[in-house]
Amino acid sequence: MAVDDRWPATVRTGQRGDRVHSDRGERIAGLVREARQGSEEALGQIVTELTPMLWQVARAAGLSAGDAEDVVQTVWMRLIAHLDDIHTSAALTGWLVITARREAWRVRAEGRKHFPAESESFDALPARGPGSEEQVIIDDQRRTLWRAISQLSGRCQELLRIIAFVPRPDYAAVAAELGMPIGSIGPTRGRCLAKLRVLLACTLEGDDVLS
Amino acid sequence: MSSPEEALSADEPLNDIDLSVLDGIREMFRVADPMPADLPERIRFRLALRDLEIEVARLTEEQELAGIRGAELSRTITFDSDSLTIMIRIDSNRDGTVRVDGWLAPPQRRELELKTTAESLSVSCDDQGRFAFARVPRGTAQLMVRAAEPGPDGSGRSVVTPALIL
Repeated sequence: MAVDDRWPATVRTGQRGDRVHSDRGERIAGLVREARQGSEEALGQIVTELTPMLWQVARAAGLSAGDAEDVVQTVWMRLIAHLDDIHTSAALTGWLVITARREAWRVRAEGRKHFPAESESFDALPARGPGSEEQVIIDDQRRTLWRAISQLSGRCQELLRIIAFVPRPDYAAVAAELGMPIGSIGPTRGRCLAKLRVLLACTLEGDDVLS
Repeated sequence: MSSPEEALSADEPLNDIDLSVLDGIREMFRVADPMPADLPERIRFRLALRDLEIEVARLTEEQELAGIRGAELSRTITFDSDSLTIMIRIDSNRDGTVRVDGWLAPPQRRELELKTTAESLSVSCDDQGRFAFARVPRGTAQLMVRAAEPGPDGSGRSVVTPALIL
């Protein structure tokens, strides 16, 4: 497909094989089991691994950095009471994302008058200093992506940002909740990602014309 | 060549390009809006305290002062919790460690522990609530005031400060 060739290869990072996926699932399930039995170390490892995802969930909901930290901490405190009901990596990820999103909405509703306009968080991608040629290319790709995403609705921006941080084997557990219906063989692309792909294809097409 | 609109259906399963785009989004937000690097560590610390009857003090004031010899800065930091105010002053030692002097208000005798990444240091304070850790390695540290006989008003509970960078 034409879009395949044009999507910059350097963006294709982090692809991992199925074996890595299932190993990860087993490892997380093991940590959850140990945490349930009282292991602080196991709980700590889970926190270290999944807090970056929860940070993005809270920030994607439009919270300030301080509120986002509070929400993330609240979610982990609440997980302790729910460990008995959670047995798989997918269940853990799903529970964390949904709980963080609900809590973020609650906090946001309380402080609505301070809540920035929907698109504000997309106003500017932080500028980076002069870097290597490779870095310049990566920055360029990020800007292209940034521009494309900022044309999506606030809801799509939030969904894609969250799903991007969900460990891939756990997609199915959160996808349906986030508006990406599950098809017969797994999560589907959904409207937001389809729209983004079209926007990206148009941008890249435009670049081709210019060069 | 088919147009992108025709090629992409929202109902199709995620393919490799979708996953690449999602990877790109993840990297973009990692750069644009990074999580504070010490957040997981702070959450782990807070979780470890969850079963204890413990108060977490809040940082209420921080000042930097020119040191006596001019070159080194010293810092004073004040923490407040429901039952205690903790004030500390941090000065540099010549050997690269720091000295932490502090006092508790209201004044009372308590056991204190300073947890650093390398070790955990323990001291007691005097009747005036004064205490000192003479040599503390630089880095992250957390001060805990250990529980005393519980008072009727909830005083005497353990109090812990947020993580400090010494």
